[in-house]
Amino acid sequence: MTVTLIAICLAETVPDAGGKPHPEFPGLQIGGDGAARLQHIGILGFAFQSLLLIQIVLLSILGVAERYRSNSLIIYMSACLAMMLLIGWKMFSGHLQFLDTNETDYFLGFPTATAWQTYGTWLGAIPLVLIYSLGFRKFIYTEEDERQFNTLLAEKAQQQE
Amino acid sequence: MEEYRQEIIISAVVVYMVFCVLTGLWAMRRTHNASDFFIAGRGLGPIVVSLAIFSSTLSGFGFVGGPGLVYSIGVSSFWMVIISSIGYALCFFLVSKRIRMIAELRDCISLPDIVAARYGSESVRFMIAVTIVLGVMGYLATQILAMAVVMQAIFSGTETFANVGLVTCVIISSAVLIFYCVTGGIIASVYTDVVQGTIMIVAGSLILLTAINVFDGGMQEATSIILADDAETIMPYGAAGIMASLGWFFVFGLGLAGQPHIITKLMMNKEINDNRSMLPLSLFGYVMAALLWISIGIVMRAAVLDGRVEPLALPDDAASVFLSVFTNPFLAGIVFAGLFAAIMSTSDAFLNIGTAAIIHDIPKAIQGKSLENELLWARVVTVLLAILAACFALYSHFQDATLVAILGAFGWGTFAASIFPVVAIGLNWKGASVAGAVTAIGAALLINFISQLAGYTFPYGVSGQLVAFVSSMTLFLGVSLVTKKPVLDTDIDRVMDI
Repeated sequence: MTVTLIAICLAETVPDAGGKPHPEFPGLQIGGDGAARLQHIGILGFAFQSLLLIQIVLLSILGVAERYRSNSLIIYMSACLAMMLLIGWKMFSGHLQFLDTNETDYFLGFPTATAWQTYGTWLGAIPLVLIYSLGFRKFIYTEEDERQFNTLLAEKAQQQE
Repeated sequence: MEEYRQEIIISAVVVYMVFCVLTGLWAMRRTHNASDFFIAGRGLGPIVVSLAIFSSTLSGFGFVGGPGLVYSIGVSSFWMVIISSIGYALCFFLVSKRIRMIAELRDCISLPDIVAARYGSESVRFMIAVTIVLGVMGYLATQILAMAVVMQAIFSGTETFANVGLVTCVIISSAVLIFYCVTGGIIASVYTDVVQGTIMIVAGSLILLTAINVFDGGMQEATSIILADDAETIMPYGAAGIMASLGWFFVFGLGLAGQPHIITKLMMNKEINDNRSMLPLSLFGYVMAALLWISIGIVMRAAVLDGRVEPLALPDDAASVFLSVFTNPFLAGIVFAGLFAAIMSTSDAFLNIGTAAIIHDIPKAIQGKSLENELLWARVVTVLLAILAACFALYSHFQDATLVAILGAFGWGTFAASIFPVVAIGLNWKGASVAGAVTAIGAALLINFISQLAGYTFPYGVSGQLVAFVSSMTLFLGVSLVTKKPVLDTDIDRVMDI
């Protein structure tokens, strides 16, 4: 990710890549030419987004004790990652498609690409939440963990006495 | 009813503030020692902690600055909100279980306590405590100022109170905040958070329904108006562009697990098993409340572009203008009470962790022990810290905004960059070393400070906060890998195996 970020910072710049003031209404910003803004860093940006999603899932796995990183957990996490990457791609490619055609459908109030971003990103992590909540006693804090922790507390109390 | 709009709004806010004062008095009887004052004696239920977590996450910024950002730059700022589901999940995976276990095992009452136990280092404790104090000053000052500005705006709509000045508003709002924080400590804070969270959920839901009905064609008509004006604004990366958006994705997503006022709450639940329900409950609350952020911003931008509303003097006026133009007085009353709730719930959390850092952690790091009679000192320092922040807010408003702006930069981004690697990764990776932690915190502070002071901008809207976060994580991992593998205390080693 660090390398991708450096590559983006070193890429050829375009004017107003971070937006510019609205010509008519003070306080409003506009994006302007979307194709130009993505010309040099579009793929790098998407790569950064994908790497971030991969990092999030890997960090979630890091939060599970090593002995519980079973095949089933890896399968659940991989499915979760695949879904998040798919949502990211639908958003990115939908945006590129709009830039090509200047046409878009709408879904629940937003242009399709933005709907993928808004609803997709929000809901895309729900499987992670489910893995945590429903798998809590299997992956996060099992009955064996609880026993071990209570033993540790008891030993600590004994030492203090 | 419309002629009584201001009176209804003031009544809603007064009722809310009276509730806060009463909660402070009630909680005072349950606060017997420093542990009760700072972490509620680790005796709270899952619903209380969940509501406290999400209401502390969504500050006044979410109710004022958030809609203003959507109004100004469009979908770019959605990234701060939609990433919450990933952010909360990651926070629970990485932090919730171990922070709670170490808190109970070592009788920790603050985040620096946890860090000192994990790394066996007073240097790391000191650096985290100093980071917290710097961040708290910036955050608190801006929150108190926001409260006073909103209160003055409400008063200005009435005949009786039209001439009430900003200083008076700072005094009134700070007094209520100080009263319940001093008397009831964190117990008062979390129980007011419950009501604050509930108000925010109700406000968010009702505002969404109102916003959808502003245009005959619903939200689609609003987004179509924006699309016709400038398509990029309503496309996934908004007016600010792809890297600004992904920067927020990174800093707000991963960074949630590095916010001290949020993760400290994960030490307060009675049972570790409560974590399984706290994650979905916190997330649900946040999403419902954040609907306000998105819907007001979109509708106000479309309304201005469409000529239904005059252009706003400031983007931050988006929420207040929306409330006065499009909502009935009762809903406006609920939302204004919700706004105060959002500000106060974040402020009380910061007062609490800032006080803990000053009276407990910094003395412990320097002289090896915390102050005698911590409960008394906690109350004294809470008052002093709030007064200092209030003075700071007024000074910045009337004299020089630079200092608060600089300390404001010690907000979310700096907490994320300096605390996430050290806590979220450090609690799950035995290879994390003291040198790695010190380097990461130092780099995060330095890069954020320099980029803020120098006003340096990176290409493509890449933010200094993102650069600081990526750098601190890279340094944390790199330095830990090349330095000697740390020897952990036996009990911490066993906790990290669980």
